[in-house]
Amino acid sequence: MSILYVLIPLALLLLGGAVWVFFWAVSSGQFDDLDTPAVRIIMDDDSKPDDSER
Amino acid sequence: MTTGTETCFHCALPIPADCHLTVDMEGRQQPVCCPGCKAVAELIRDSGMSRYYALREAPDPGVGRPPDETAEWLVFDNDDMLAAFTETSDGVAEATVYAGGMYCSACSWLIETTLSKLAGVVSAEVNPVTHRLRVRWRPDGLRFSDILATLADLGYQPQPLAPENTTRPELVEQRAALKRLLVASLGMMQVMMFAVGLYAGDFQGIDAEMQRFLRLVSFFVTTPVVFYAARPFFKSAWRGIRTRKPGMDLPVSIAVGSAYAASVYATFTNGPAVWFDSVTMFVFFLTLGRFLEMRARHRSIDRTVALSSLLPNTATRVSGDSKFIVPVSQLQAGDRVLVRAGDGIPADGVIVHGQTSVDETMLTGEARPQTKSVGDAVAAGSVNIDGLIELSVTRTGSDTTLGTISRLSERARYARPAFVTLADRIASYIVIALLVIAAIVATAWYFVAPERAFVITLSVLVVTCPCALALATPAAFAAAGSRLSQLRLLVTNGNAIEALSRATVVMFDKTGTLTRGLPRIQSVVVLDESMTEYDCRLIAAALETASSHPLARAFATSASLPRVSQQHVEVGQGVSGIIDGRRWRLGSANFAGGGAGIDTGTPDSVATNVFLGSDDNVVAWFDVEDELRPGVAATLESLDRMGLRAALVSGDKQGPVEDLATRLGIADFHFECTPQRKLQIIEAAQREGERVVMVGDGINDAPVLSGADTSVAPAHGAMLAQTSADVIMLGDSLEPLTTVFQMSAKTMRIVRQNLAWAIVYNALALPLAAAGLVPPWLAAIGMSASSLIVVLNALRLSRFE
Repeated sequence: MSILYVLIPLALLLLGGAVWVFFWAVSSGQFDDLDTPAVRIIMDDDSKPDDSER
Repeated sequence: MTTGTETCFHCALPIPADCHLTVDMEGRQQPVCCPGCKAVAELIRDSGMSRYYALREAPDPGVGRPPDETAEWLVFDNDDMLAAFTETSDGVAEATVYAGGMYCSACSWLIETTLSKLAGVVSAEVNPVTHRLRVRWRPDGLRFSDILATLADLGYQPQPLAPENTTRPELVEQRAALKRLLVASLGMMQVMMFAVGLYAGDFQGIDAEMQRFLRLVSFFVTTPVVFYAARPFFKSAWRGIRTRKPGMDLPVSIAVGSAYAASVYATFTNGPAVWFDSVTMFVFFLTLGRFLEMRARHRSIDRTVALSSLLPNTATRVSGDSKFIVPVSQLQAGDRVLVRAGDGIPADGVIVHGQTSVDETMLTGEARPQTKSVGDAVAAGSVNIDGLIELSVTRTGSDTTLGTISRLSERARYARPAFVTLADRIASYIVIALLVIAAIVATAWYFVAPERAFVITLSVLVVTCPCALALATPAAFAAAGSRLSQLRLLVTNGNAIEALSRATVVMFDKTGTLTRGLPRIQSVVVLDESMTEYDCRLIAAALETASSHPLARAFATSASLPRVSQQHVEVGQGVSGIIDGRRWRLGSANFAGGGAGIDTGTPDSVATNVFLGSDDNVVAWFDVEDELRPGVAATLESLDRMGLRAALVSGDKQGPVEDLATRLGIADFHFECTPQRKLQIIEAAQREGERVVMVGDGINDAPVLSGADTSVAPAHGAMLAQTSADVIMLGDSLEPLTTVFQMSAKTMRIVRQNLAWAIVYNALALPLAAAGLVPPWLAAIGMSASSLIVVLNALRLSRFE
């Protein structure tokens, strides 16, 4: 069971990383629009590849 | 008659019987109502965007508005304007544009796709909820005005927003709420995992070292959940204490705070149990509820933008002999401004040249145009219908009548007495009672068995934690709000649902609420036997081409019209012109009959009559009426079944109002009401103990809407009314109104069930815990289960049909 003393802190480190990444994503505006992406997927566009900026 | 069975493929308006235009859409001939719709449909098809018709949720009622001239947008190319509205970095300019007239996600798709095809556009993204377009382009290849003109050609009303407008407080709030929600949810999941180990240890035995470790880890994860995610609850609880109005957040904070403190204490003293799992779960559910609530609130459209969208973007300033097109924001009192027929009036002012009639529907609710000539005052936000006028500007921006009305409605909104919910009132009593009981239990056990006193007190606090009570109302309201928004009904005020469930009277506005606000010819009476009805319509339509009077829209047709010479608009009277050598007049009875007058054989009350005359004789008359919104009769019927009384308050004249009220069976009607009068009627009803729901649109209604207990606005009313209303109905039909009332009744029923359950649970659990029969881990499970039941019960609302 002593492996838990290693694995749990490791899990917490990963958790911290995930939270940090999410905070960064929210602050950079990626979650500002929570409505369009849900419908955007059904509007496949053949004219030009999706602009991946922002 | 105009009301054919077919509707236009593009705009869904009825197709006039004499129109046979079609458009070839994916191999099928689809009928359209006018050459304009045909052209737009073909433009969309030829751009390869026919899918727009499959994707859109509702036909675009914004069509029929003539596209703005490109010249109007050129002003946005000068350096001052570019500096004000765009930001440039690395050779790419970026701007945020409010696209007025958007209705659904298909609109955003159409805008994005069309703009992406313009050479020079780097990216274009539209948020259909806020109606904002964020466009980036290379200024060396494309002008800003081209983008705006393209939007205008598609039928939207673009309005560039200054960059500082784009970081709105809602956005800041949403970002913070998202972060809190994530911290709470991740924290809860982690702590739950450790809790499984701890609970298993309670039953099967656990290494003391390992238990200590798991508790410590739980403590590390719970701490940010309590101090970061739950901070708004503590803040609001503190506010409640300071103002001596303990709200829902006080019990929440005490529960979280005490459970956390006790768990920390237990962690460092090797106490019997920790409740970190209960703390994080509690915080997560509360944060989720608040988040959903916030999202529903943000769906109301930005107020300042809505107000200024009634104003034109630019104005023609006259100085000496030269004319300049300037942005409206640069106008100052004393400026001379030229306003063409059909344009919006940019600022309050006095006419110095010309005469015209002005449509003040937005400001006064009066549907009939007002005749104005030199010396008369005109107000920003109204529309110049017939003539070219020159104004001397008296007031601009927020000083105008429009700005004042908006401030008035703002004040009325804040003057509303703070609503204390049933749950809040109960919760604040319960929390005080709980604290007293916990103190009594602690004291009693201190004398009986001092070593058990702390654990039992904790059990009491946790098991009776009013979280089910605290969640009962917000969970139900959040579920109801999100379900209503799926049903295309937006609730902008948290109190609206409760208030709607208690409503006794529903007051309707007439123009634009019960009716569409679009006049149509209801019948034609031909007096001269040598003429056919069709001839009369054609002649009338030809004459009306000179007029931009609202009633003229009723005559519009796509049939080829006879040539008119010497066409002349007599302001406030009618139109005259010569067709085939014969002089015709169209307008009031006096005007058409050359002053002879005529007996129409019908009471004056019926709709509005427009007369066609020639050589001093009336040849025919048209019965022009504003068409009823769909679902009016069905809605009134179901409101009646629900025991709600309907009333009609309108700014219109007695005749049309009385006629409509009789036809719909509304006994209680008021006509020629100014906004102040409407407010008085509402207040009088409120004094008699009635709870008033006001259904209306138009800016003149904004203070009225705020004065009613609850207000409902159809979405394509004036934007301002939308945002001051508590509930916004999207779509054309009035029938969703029934849904709102049914939903509010059901929501309140679920809230009551939840509260009843929470109280019963607490009443049962409290004596058991006080007697020392409930170990803390069972208390935590009981608390979580009781909250879960409340949440699940609330979620039933999201399946409401």
